[in-house]
Amino acid sequence: MEFKPTIVAFLCNWCSYTGADLAGTSRVKYKPNVRIIRVMCSGRVDPTFIFKSFREGADGVLICGCHPGDCHYQEGNYKCLRRYKLMKKYIEQMGIESDRLKLEWISASEGKQFAELIDSMTARILELGPSKIKQVVDTLAV
Amino acid sequence: MEEVRIGVYVCWCGTNIAKMVDVEDVTRKIGALPGVVISKNYKYMCSDPGQELIANDIREHKLNRVVVAACSPRIHELTFRKALEKAGLNAYLFEMANIREQDSWVHDNREEATRKALDLVAAAISRVRHHEPLDKRSVSINSATVVIGGGIAGMSAALEIANAGKQVYLIEKSDKLGGLVNHFDLTYPYLYDAGSMLELLIRRTTCHPNVKVYLNTVIREVHGFIGNFETTLHAGTRKAEKLEFGNIIVATGLKPFDASRVHQYGYGRLPDVITSVEFENMLHTGEVLTKAGKIPQNIAIIHCVGSRNPGFHEYCSRTCCMVALKFANQLRSLLPDANIYDLYADMRAFGKGCEELYTTTSRKKITFMMFDQQEELPQIIKSVVPDDPPMLIFFREKISGIGVEVPADMVILMVGVEAHPDVKEIAHAVGISICGNSFFIEKHPKLDPVATTTGGVYIVGACQGPKGISDAVCQAKAAAARVLGTINQSSVHVEVTTAVVNESLCCGCQTCNLVCPYTAIRFDKDKKVSYVNEVLCKGCGTCGSTCPTGAIRSKHFTDQQILSQIDGLLTMALKQE
Repeated sequence: MEFKPTIVAFLCNWCSYTGADLAGTSRVKYKPNVRIIRVMCSGRVDPTFIFKSFREGADGVLICGCHPGDCHYQEGNYKCLRRYKLMKKYIEQMGIESDRLKLEWISASEGKQFAELIDSMTARILELGPSKIKQVVDTLAV
Repeated sequence: MEEVRIGVYVCWCGTNIAKMVDVEDVTRKIGALPGVVISKNYKYMCSDPGQELIANDIREHKLNRVVVAACSPRIHELTFRKALEKAGLNAYLFEMANIREQDSWVHDNREEATRKALDLVAAAISRVRHHEPLDKRSVSINSATVVIGGGIAGMSAALEIANAGKQVYLIEKSDKLGGLVNHFDLTYPYLYDAGSMLELLIRRTTCHPNVKVYLNTVIREVHGFIGNFETTLHAGTRKAEKLEFGNIIVATGLKPFDASRVHQYGYGRLPDVITSVEFENMLHTGEVLTKAGKIPQNIAIIHCVGSRNPGFHEYCSRTCCMVALKFANQLRSLLPDANIYDLYADMRAFGKGCEELYTTTSRKKITFMMFDQQEELPQIIKSVVPDDPPMLIFFREKISGIGVEVPADMVILMVGVEAHPDVKEIAHAVGISICGNSFFIEKHPKLDPVATTTGGVYIVGACQGPKGISDAVCQAKAAAARVLGTINQSSVHVEVTTAVVNESLCCGCQTCNLVCPYTAIRFDKDKKVSYVNEVLCKGCGTCGSTCPTGAIRSKHFTDQQILSQIDGLLTMALKQE
């Protein structure tokens, strides 16, 4: 069966979610594989959310926040960045390719960039193929 | 726990959603999910009948949770929350699935878009199960207002509020009021005198008992939230002054484009190539002379300098075409025999009185010629023939396709406008966003054009986008009305989605205290736990993702709610395979 990846994306309310909305209002087309979850700030993205997404079968996880210096909450995006760098290493140790997790800055005016980001990330996940972690955990859990 | 009874409503948004998403299919499949009592679809959920439908179902079917799958929650979340309240349900027992901006409008495969809609609605249903009622919090409104920027927009807003009997603090960076209009001679389209208009406005502003003007003053940081802001003013060596106020109007204007960036025009190298701003000043003195002190016989006006060109700014600066026509008129009056050339890319004469100005100007022996702004800009070179006019303009006339040479003693560059370099500082200070062209972003371009996503902060005039005086003043007065409306209510409801500490889980590590950008979290030394000051907390949730024991909950964005959302999103997807 054709592999249709699922990407779970956590978008901050102020910049990135608005940017994704702008892609919509501008009718920019992109790949339908992304499922967006709104958080107030990228700093809210708890590592648990990412593990949970992979655990439940996400093939990729994307976090988007405001550009450095533009965070609505001053510096939540920096905290997210630090956490992200650790998590990249961590998921690799768990057997998840680090490219499956991505952090990008999308401003409220970057609807087009958001669309391009989804397309490029979808392409990368297609190269990587389905994530095996859910299957592995399910097997171990039995 | 009471039984969860969810009502799900899928919106067609006319054809906006229904064309790309099979709303019937979504409604049917979603109806089978646990806890869903009723699932319906309707043409426009946000309409009165749509809201009525929800309210009736809440009463009739004893719903205690509602999910609407429609547009972005940034547009109608509040609408539906109000509908819930009307039916006696707490506003927070509601969740929206964005199947328009983030689905039907961005995909062109109906099957995929429907599948995505199903996932998003399933996620919302899964999340809403864990929603809990939150109590509204209202804050009192300080009736003073800060207006940043003392140009025509800022002064108009300030006066409107001051006339209603409320205190205004008008903060101006430079040493005088009036902003860019200080440089204008006459205004288009009716050729009114800008100076006398401005003088009157400045006099009214400075003499008004309710307006306190601060010149040479900047605002670097603003603390607080709608109704309760505070800042410290910085004014050179003067002692810093502290202000408390309830609303902010940002009216910081814009600046003219730097003409030297367009090398073809030789601005800065050729002495008689001047900008429209310099020419306004020249008109103001009443004498139009070349640098050598001669009366020019050949004058060329070039449009779109820095505007509508991907190399500079893609946007139209909106006012320059009309200012150019005004110049042509003034020049014709001053120099009846001169040759006046108007080199334009497109003549944009929209709005009241403007096309009429174009028509009357075109009868005044002005040579209008079109050039291609995208393909090839005109070139201005120094003439080498001794008795010829000192400059020659070469360009391809767009309609005829013929190469043209225009002699010129003086060239006026119609410079576009751009945002101030300090917009980022202002945006950061008051907590608003800027767009790709560095203009401030309004809350909604059509439905809420002077508000921003930050409560109590409004944007007026050219800092929101290029515009003329009339539009700037309209916005100023609109924002003033918004501010007065808020003051009149004396209190407003604010978001209650703050953080809260569960004391029995808190281990007292104080990590949350460290990450909070607002110092809203303090440590109780006696109890050895952290606690949140809800007034200072803005609900970013950074503490929630740092807490090692899960003691801090970000209300309405709890771990459980988001984890359930992920669950709903992915389990639905898997079921379909």
